[in-house]
Amino acid sequence: MDIIANLAHGFGVALSFDNLLFALIGALIGTAIGVLPGIGPVATISLLLPITFGQPATTAIIMLAGIYYGAQYGGSTTAILLNLPGEISSVVTTLEGYKMARNGRAGAALATAAIASFFAGTVATILVAASGPLLTSVALSFGPADYFSLMLLGLIISAVLAQGSVLKSIAMVVLGVALGLVGTDVQTGQQRFTFGIPELSDGIGFVSVAMGMFGIAEIILNLERPEARSVLKTKVGSLFLTKEEWKRATPSVLRGTLVGSLLGILPGGGAALAAFGAYMMERKVSKGRHEFGTGAIEGVAGPEAANNAAAQTSFIPLLTLGIPANAVMALMVGALIIQGIQPGPRMVEAQPDLFWGLIASMWLGNLMLLVINLPMIGMWVKLLQVPYKFLYPSILVFCCIGVYSLNNNVFDVYMTVLFAIFGYVCSKLKMEPAPLLIGFVLGPMMEEHLRRAMLLSRGDPMVFLQRPISGTLLAIGAIALLAMMLPNLRKGKEAAMAG
Amino acid sequence: MKVNAKDIAAGVLLMLIAAVGLYLNQDHSLGSARRMGPGYMPMLVFWLQLGLGAIVLVAALFNGPDPLVKWTGLESVSLALGIAAGLVVWKVAPMFGGFFASTYNAVGLAMFVGFIVICFANGWRLIGFICAAMCLFGLLLEKGGLMLALIGTILVSVLAEPQHRERPLGILGLTVFLLALCWWIFIKQLDIRVAVWPQF
Repeated sequence: MDIIANLAHGFGVALSFDNLLFALIGALIGTAIGVLPGIGPVATISLLLPITFGQPATTAIIMLAGIYYGAQYGGSTTAILLNLPGEISSVVTTLEGYKMARNGRAGAALATAAIASFFAGTVATILVAASGPLLTSVALSFGPADYFSLMLLGLIISAVLAQGSVLKSIAMVVLGVALGLVGTDVQTGQQRFTFGIPELSDGIGFVSVAMGMFGIAEIILNLERPEARSVLKTKVGSLFLTKEEWKRATPSVLRGTLVGSLLGILPGGGAALAAFGAYMMERKVSKGRHEFGTGAIEGVAGPEAANNAAAQTSFIPLLTLGIPANAVMALMVGALIIQGIQPGPRMVEAQPDLFWGLIASMWLGNLMLLVINLPMIGMWVKLLQVPYKFLYPSILVFCCIGVYSLNNNVFDVYMTVLFAIFGYVCSKLKMEPAPLLIGFVLGPMMEEHLRRAMLLSRGDPMVFLQRPISGTLLAIGAIALLAMMLPNLRKGKEAAMAG
Repeated sequence: MKVNAKDIAAGVLLMLIAAVGLYLNQDHSLGSARRMGPGYMPMLVFWLQLGLGAIVLVAALFNGPDPLVKWTGLESVSLALGIAAGLVVWKVAPMFGGFFASTYNAVGLAMFVGFIVICFANGWRLIGFICAAMCLFGLLLEKGGLMLALIGTILVSVLAEPQHRERPLGILGLTVFLLALCWWIFIKQLDIRVAVWPQF
């Protein structure tokens, strides 16, 4: 079997000293920011992007991926022990997990979360390995028109599934695409919207946008809310599950893995949506559904499996099609492009080390996280005692140094400040920044493909409807848009998002 | 009618950006649908954005109420003063030559002064001090070196959180810790190309 040989190659790459070390560093950082409320994977990854320049591409991506799935592990710790979600994806874990902790089963809840995450991570990693080459061969038959439609579909779905108003999310996607147009036009070399500023001729810095809108704006918003972190009173207790608990958790883990894997692949999906989906499902179908609200183990096992599964499978569209499914994956595209790698279907062939090494390291990273989280839980609980007033100046100086070292130019620092203000204004007006980032990353690629497709079709826009792949994708996009106009579905989404 | 003030502002902002984009796009040749020039895609995108902004605006007349936070008089005045001070500094600073005329220092100084000025209003202190801290980093880094820039940034950023004022020792500890940590990570380990100490 090809896949076995490829995986063996991947493990060879992932087990090199450097890659192992950076997978561990990524997992540790991920757990830390997962535990700490107020700083998420998007901000952290944009913070660390500049640091990854000096590293080989594979090592860089392995570390950044570790942060994303590590955060899924860490987020549940805070949720269970403090009734405070460390990440958005662990909001639903607070519902049953904290009740379990109040019942004296905090240890069991933490163990369930870690084991469920590990199992789901393993299954999802196999899924990525199996579907990668398969999807890649399909993607290689894509023409420019198909690519354009695929990206358009991705943007539509990411806007439809984003929190808040669909209309404003679509507008944010378009604004993101518009920001992506700044810089030199690839085909004619003409400067567009640069105001004669030489630093803008390569386009607006991706890191400035991400760090400003997610990192700095988040600091300001966090400081506006008074800190509500209660002192830890619950004891962790035994980490071992009873026979009865195993029996109840197992089917939930399986269901959560399935739901999470599927929702992770979806553009606009990702860990948070998957956890909500799995929670809804458990509340409807699990055997312990009548115990929901009093500390049902199913309500921890399902969502925790789902958020980690989704964190892994959201790499599938990125690695096979070059299309980011969510804001974290948009950052990964940025990291790859900075490394000189164009994400897309040729990546599996051209960068086997990166593709298979990343997959192998995901599994190794999950294994490390199991060890990092369960026996060392006490250490992470201690981390919670660092108050935000000490945390935010640290984040701020890291942002400053990171963004400066990008090009050794203070221009990038000032640019980040502008985007911080813009991000702050957006959040005050309830405009979601995540769709903007995805639009910003996909915009330049879409323009390329649009121009190429129109050239091939001699200026006939019907080509997008006539090609079977492209036509199908556009039809799905249209259905998704129309579906959101139905009041019932929209209410369902709002209920799910409100948790 | 239940007016959604947040959405009205959002719609106006979107339309404003789109209008500026369309205006600037007049410089770029459109080309044809077959051979798109540099202006074609921006034209599509900005018209789409203008339309979406208009829909957001119209929908906002009915899907409220969602009022915006009212600014106090002091907040409005200091915002206006901050912007004015920034513009004046931006125009005047380069006349002094030297440091102020080189690279983006005039811009940085203008932003720094502007952000400090808006801090006169209580409501702007968070955003003002955080942004001012970042601008100060940009101003100090190349001439003053990393250490001085870090000290400046930390000292301005702690002004944003009133709790810090009760414990000056905490600020000192934080500063020393961050200086050591940043030196170890960025200079010792990553070896970024930046001066550590002041340059004369």
